[in-house]
Amino acid sequence: MFDLLMNAAINGLLLGGVLALLAFGMNLIFGVIKIIHMAYGQCVMLGMYFVYTLVTFLGLPILLACLLTLPLMGVIGMGLQMFVINPLLRAKANPLTQLLALAGLTIVIENLAQVIWGADLRGINIQLPLISFGNVFLRTSNLIAFFGALLTLWGLYMFLNRTYVGLAIRSIAQDVDSSRLMGINPQAIYYVTMAAGGVLTGVIAAFFSPIYAVHPHFGGSFTMMAFIIVVLGGMGNMLGGFIGAFVIGLVTSLSAALTSTEIADILALVIFIAVILIRPQGLLGIRVSK
Amino acid sequence: MLEIQDLNVSYGEFQALFGVSLTVAEKETVITVGPNGAGKSTLLKTVSGLLRPRSGNITFLGKRIEGLPAHVIVDMGITHVPEGGRLFPYLTVLENLKIGSYLPRARSESGKILNEIYQLFPILDERKKQLADTMSGGERQMLAIARCLMSRPKLILLDEPSSGLAPRVVSRVLEFVHTIKSQGYAILMVEQNVRKALRLSDRAYLMESGRVHKEGTQQSFFEDPYIKKAYIGL
Repeated sequence: MFDLLMNAAINGLLLGGVLALLAFGMNLIFGVIKIIHMAYGQCVMLGMYFVYTLVTFLGLPILLACLLTLPLMGVIGMGLQMFVINPLLRAKANPLTQLLALAGLTIVIENLAQVIWGADLRGINIQLPLISFGNVFLRTSNLIAFFGALLTLWGLYMFLNRTYVGLAIRSIAQDVDSSRLMGINPQAIYYVTMAAGGVLTGVIAAFFSPIYAVHPHFGGSFTMMAFIIVVLGGMGNMLGGFIGAFVIGLVTSLSAALTSTEIADILALVIFIAVILIRPQGLLGIRVSK
Repeated sequence: MLEIQDLNVSYGEFQALFGVSLTVAEKETVITVGPNGAGKSTLLKTVSGLLRPRSGNITFLGKRIEGLPAHVIVDMGITHVPEGGRLFPYLTVLENLKIGSYLPRARSESGKILNEIYQLFPILDERKKQLADTMSGGERQMLAIARCLMSRPKLILLDEPSSGLAPRVVSRVLEFVHTIKSQGYAILMVEQNVRKALRLSDRAYLMESGRVHKEGTQQSFFEDPYIKKAYIGL
């Protein structure tokens, strides 16, 4: 029993790393463009299908397929900005309309995936070794995903803090008009943000590919998970999202080990509802008074 | 340098500016006074591109700029310090200054300009690692002005730099404006603190309910009985 829980806890923490990345992307887009990207998990799914297609049908090495997926997802992010988000911003759509439009996008992506790749599970065939410490077993693919996610987060942190474009992204998130007066073109920054968010879904897809097989409804639970984490940590709060990711990773993994994955999903949603009821500003969020 | 002709600006149905005309020459400090709601801030926002005029011309250094996006107008050399400074509260003092030189032409010089600003204003150097949010009102206002200098502007639009500050601090901020004026920048300033601001100015405009009611030199404003009575309180 102890070993089971230990295994679950460690795998939960390892999963937390990738969830942190997922939540970071959603948070970044929300912070800058003020839109909740409800199709974020679906973009990850699309990235996994790209990896699968590049490996299975074009016979590319897995690493190369993953690397090619990154710019591809970046372009898709910019495409979403151009064809979905910009029209919403131009129309000054209210938050409900924005949410519905992006929820609609999830249906489009999922059904497109079903038409192109079918409803079956698709995965790349790769067996990475297990590492064992006593009775605790670690999958190498989970370890790669965890450390890769931390490295990516560090890279994003450096990008946001050490470059002019990163600084502009943070400025826009705080005050759009004031940013315009600094000579920043918000449109350009929105594109950069959606491109970065897109590349991030590619990175996550690359880490997920050796772990999970993908199917047309794979993305939904991850969108939900990311959204729960973002709300748990406080909308737009990067550190809160980071902590929230590990909390949710741990909780779902432990409860899945103790009961079943369905219960784990329920528990995640219960946490979500509890946060909204008890602490709507999230763990580290700042209460906004109107 | 700046020429505004017959400018009309509306917020939806509500018209805020009616045929406003105004000029600022090279190295000149022009102040616009008037009560709340006279359209002074609207005027500055329209010049800097935050608002689009309904009609009228704005010419800067021989080029028409009305209706251009704000980030393009900054690049032409007009910088705008909005009311309250509008700093980025969760960026440090240094980051606020750095983002002021976001424009590619200013970026390459950013280190040099930063040194000039630290010379002018040593406290910003001492506090550079602090979040802008933690500075006092007067320091924040001065940081906002310093930030706009980072873009190497030719004309500075100042919207009520003394608003919300204690009287002693007001004098310090206006002194800082005076320092900038003596460096040769052209300044168009909107101010409620009429007496102190007029002393800084070369020329002044009086705006009431969206229209220019008087234009003249500093002297003529100090001598005008209506302005003396309504705005200076002598």
